[in-house]
This record gives sequence, structure tokens and C-alpha cells, in this order.
Amino acid sequence: MASVELSQITKTFGAHDVIRGIDLTVDDGSFCALLGPSGCGKSTLLRMIAGLETVSGGTVRIGGADVTQAEPKSRGVAMVFQSYALYPHLTVADNIAFSLSLAGTSKAVRAEKVAKVASMLRLGELLDRRPAQLSGGQRQRVAIGRALVRDPKVFLFDEPLSNLDALLRVQMRLELAKLHSDLGSTMVYVTHDQVEAMTLADKIVVLDKGAISQVGTPWELYNRPANRFVAGFIGSPAMNFLRGTARMAAGGIAVTLQGGVTLTLPARATQDFVGDRPVELGIRPEHVSVASGTGAQLSGRSAVVEYLGNTSYVYVDTPQGSVIAEAAGARGLQSGSPVGLSLNLSEAHLFDESGRVLAAASV
Amino acid sequence: MTGATTDGQSTSLGYMRRTPGGVLLTLLTLIAAATWFFPIYWAVMTSLRSDSDTVTDFGLIPANPTLEGYIFDIVHSELPIWYLNSTITSVGVTVAVVFMSACTGFAISQLRFPGRMLLWWTILASFMVPVTALIVNHFIIMANVKLLNTHLGIILPMLISPVTVIVYKQFFDGLPKEFREAAVMDGATELQVFLRVFLPMNWGVTTALAIITFIGSWNAFLWPFLVSQDEKMMTVTVGITAVQDAFGVAFGRVLAGAVLASLPVALAYLLFQRRVTQAIALSAGIKG
Repeated sequence: MASVELSQITKTFGAHDVIRGIDLTVDDGSFCALLGPSGCGKSTLLRMIAGLETVSGGTVRIGGADVTQAEPKSRGVAMVFQSYALYPHLTVADNIAFSLSLAGTSKAVRAEKVAKVASMLRLGELLDRRPAQLSGGQRQRVAIGRALVRDPKVFLFDEPLSNLDALLRVQMRLELAKLHSDLGSTMVYVTHDQVEAMTLADKIVVLDKGAISQVGTPWELYNRPANRFVAGFIGSPAMNFLRGTARMAAGGIAVTLQGGVTLTLPARATQDFVGDRPVELGIRPEHVSVASGTGAQLSGRSAVVEYLGNTSYVYVDTPQGSVIAEAAGARGLQSGSPVGLSLNLSEAHLFDESGRVLAAASV
Repeated sequence: MTGATTDGQSTSLGYMRRTPGGVLLTLLTLIAAATWFFPIYWAVMTSLRSDSDTVTDFGLIPANPTLEGYIFDIVHSELPIWYLNSTITSVGVTVAVVFMSACTGFAISQLRFPGRMLLWWTILASFMVPVTALIVNHFIIMANVKLLNTHLGIILPMLISPVTVIVYKQFFDGLPKEFREAAVMDGATELQVFLRVFLPMNWGVTTALAIITFIGSWNAFLWPFLVSQDEKMMTVTVGITAVQDAFGVAFGRVLAGAVLASLPVALAYLLFQRRVTQAIALSAGIKG
């Protein structure tokens, strides 16, 4: 086990900056997810930790040792690839033992280690099969086994579940969580799936255009987004954003939305500002409910009603913009019918023109 | 057309009806096949005739079939030695061409080194120069290094095979880069990546290219004919011309030699038909 420290890491492809000065510490034994949209540089960052990609600037330290220029095999890391990269001509046992065989480990030790890994990952019955004879989940377990057998200091996962169907993904997610709890190893996990990141990681790094947008626990990212990008990226359905003008008022911040509706957010820690300031009010769908009469702060017409079994989401077109509301009792709602919306303003966030948070929710 | 047909034929093949165009096409195909096959048939039949019968008996089946042509070739000529020479040179060329082409294809496809593209374009450009145009140069070089009438002298100029390099490069290009990266993460050197991952993943292509290279080098005539002037160093394709020279127009013996010469190639084709077809398909787009 070891920590991973990245210091001022940059990566340039020609004139294109892919990674822009990243500083990050992944603590020993933690599960860190690198999360972001396609093209944000998360896989490149992981490959630089692995040594598969050269670093244009900065240093990579694993377990305190500078490995910036070290070969991948000398870094003490193992990687699980998105495509599994199992050697098709080798059996499961040979795939798992490949690194040991390269290292010249004796047959007896190899067999012992393979048996141990196979028992841990429930691969005992499959050791003589070839990858083509395995299901997606089994292949994934073999790929993990291949990493596990090397007893690495750090595990690197590059979107390992993205090729699995939804049901298998949930199952493998649980197995990975169990594996991390059993091994206590440092794991760095790249994903674009926020559910994977939220459920597996104790630390999430949200990347945007090659830079860190926010680092925090899943709770912090969801409830205390540092900027509009993180607020919009984390959560499904996404947070509602309503444009308006904010000014300090007695007992809170008054936000006048388009169409003249004024909402007063309760007092909270905020940057001081004077006069009117253009802002975006952000509020998650679960903090917006369907209301009627004087309880409704916004009104509009429902465009779409999504029934998900345990809850429903109503997409409402209002003069202030499109708003998604969670509506458990929306069974009677039809598309096109008038809807009143009530906002739990203590849960609302305010973002300034640059997208930085001006006032976080008071939770 | 659904349901059972009145003549009891399978409904799934009901669309295969005989049309005048189809019948004509079948006839043309049969004629073409017969035209192609007849010389081979005639060679085999002639090889089973005595020397006197070859100029008197023109029936489709020999009136007095005999193996005297074959016996003469095997007993009174250097055929066994020619066979051995052909085997040595063909196996040598095959092993060397396949291994060197695989190495070169891997290097150009997977490694990054100065001059990589220059090497690639040189290999591509070598297509523009027909081997026959280089044959005089090859002869002078081999004569200067005293390799005339040696197995190595026959083998070396036959190792120029850009097609196999290109097929390998294309194949390695098509493999996901994760295989190499996974092997590198596992601690493999480049040579181990090549020998333990890339080459075994591609045995099908290697086998196909090996067979087609073997057939090509077994059938090679012009270069072995020039470089092996000593009868004991001739390959079988060159040797059978010596039979002709030594015994005049002895068609039975000459064609018996030709049949014996083509036997390994015919066997290779019959045994590995699918692989040969695959190899031709692999290199078809390149050869043009």
C-alpha cells in the first residue's frame, strides 16, 4: 500500500494542454475516483500515474518515491483496463500468472498465488478456460485477478465497468467495494459514471478540461459543490439553474428571477457584495415540489412526466426557465397541465457570473 | 415461396431455381475449370506413359500405363538431392521470411524510433521494383561473396518479402493498444511483448503466411536456376529442366519429374486449403 502524490502535473499533446497543473494527494488505503466528462483528461492522468504516458511537467510520487521517469513495471502499480485486455491465447490461469511468469517465479509459487486469487474472485472453476469462453463479468474478474496477483501498492482502474450491462455493473460495483474493504489497498478509479464514483470512492476528484474542478467526499460534492460545473455534473437528474439578480436583503439574499419573481434565500455564509449582482440559482429536483395555491413560488406547464416507480420527475416550463421537480404523487399529472412549484430555498445554491459558488446551501 | 413444395424439395432452398442465365453460367464455369484442369490431367497421364507411347498414344487414359518415368527420375537422376535442396531452401526461406517480417511489422507498428516512417516507406517503395530487375545485381553480389552454388546463396535474395511485412504491420495495427500496455504493466520487455503476446495472438496469420511463402519458394525457378549451376545444388524445379536437357524430348520422364516436383505444393494446398485462401485474401489488397 502507498499514497499517490501528483505535483503540478501537466501533459501537452502538441499545442494542446490536456492536463493543466494538477496537484493531488491520494492517501494510503483510500479509494479515489477521477470523475469527469469525456475528454476531461481523467484517463490521461491515470495513464501518467501508471507510466504509460509521459509527463510533460511536474512529479509523480508513489509511496513517497519519485517515479516520474520510472518504467511502469517499476512503479508498483497494477492496472485494470476498460477493455480488460486479457490475452486471448492464454487460459484464465495463464492470464493471471502472466506477470509472475515474466518475473521468473517458480511454477509452484505461481500455482499457489493463482489459486489464492481465484478463490478470492470465485474463478476456481474457470481457470482452464480462455477469455472468449467467459462472460463480461467473469472477464472483468480475471482482469482484476491479473492485477491482484502482482500484489501492487496501488490499483489503477480505467472505467472497468463501462462494458458491462446495468445489472452486472451494480454487482461488480459491490464486488469492487468489498475487494477494497478486504485489501485496504490504495485504488485510483477513473469513471464518467457519477453513481460509480459516489458509491465506491471515499474521495472524488472532478476534472474539467484538464484541471481539477473540486476534490471532496461524495457528500461534499453533492451538497457543497464549489462551482456550477460540479453542481451540474453531480446528481441525476441534474440541478436546476435559474438566472436572476441577487442583492443582500434583511434576513437573507433576495434573488429576482426572470419574469419578476423574487425569492429570498435564508441568511448563510456568503461572499459580501454590494448592489445587484447577476447570479444563477441552483436547486436540485428533490428540493422542488409540486404545489398549489399560495404554496407555489413558480408556476408553469408540465412538459414531460417521468414515472420511475419509486418517484416521478416533472419537467415544467416556467417563465423563469425549465425546472425539474421530484413529485412522488404526480400520478395524476398530464403533459401540458398547469403546475405550481415550491422551492426549498434553504437547499438552494447561488453561483456568480464566473460559475463559482457565491452562497452554498445551508445544509 | 412458403410451405412444402410439391416435388418435396426443402423450402429453404426453394429460391435456388434453375434459370437459363444460371445454367449458362454453370456451363461457362465448367468449361473454364476443364480448361484449367486439362493440362494438369494431361501431364499426369503423360507421366504414366512410356517414352514411345507419349508420341503415339493420345487417348485420355494411357493404353499401357507404366511408372517407368517416375522410376527413372528417382533412380537415375539427382531427384532425391533436388528434393532435399528444395526442402532446405524452402523451409529456410519460410522460417526467415516469416520471423523477420513479423519482427519488422511489429517494430513499425508498435515501436517509436527515429527513421520508422522512412523504413516503412522504403518497404512500400520496394514494391515498385520487380525482383527480376534486381536479379543481375543479386547474382553479382552472391558471386562476389562466393555464395553461388550454396543453399545460402539461393535463400538470401529470396528473403525480400514486403508483402508479409505489410500484412503483419496491418495485423499488429489492428490490435488494441491495451494488449501491449497490459503486458508492459505486467513487466514485459518489448521482445517479450512480441514473442509472448503479439506473435501467439496471430498464429492464424503466421500459419497462412508461412504456407504461402513455402509454396512460393518451392515453386521459385528463375533465381535458383541462375545461382545453382552445380547439378547437386539444384532445387527440384530447376532439376527437372536438367532431366529434359539430358534426355532430349523424353516427355514421360520430364512430366513425371514435374508431377513429383509439384507434389509437396499440391499436398500443402490440399491440407491447408483454408489457410492458403486466407493468406491470399490477406495479401490480395496489397498485391493489387
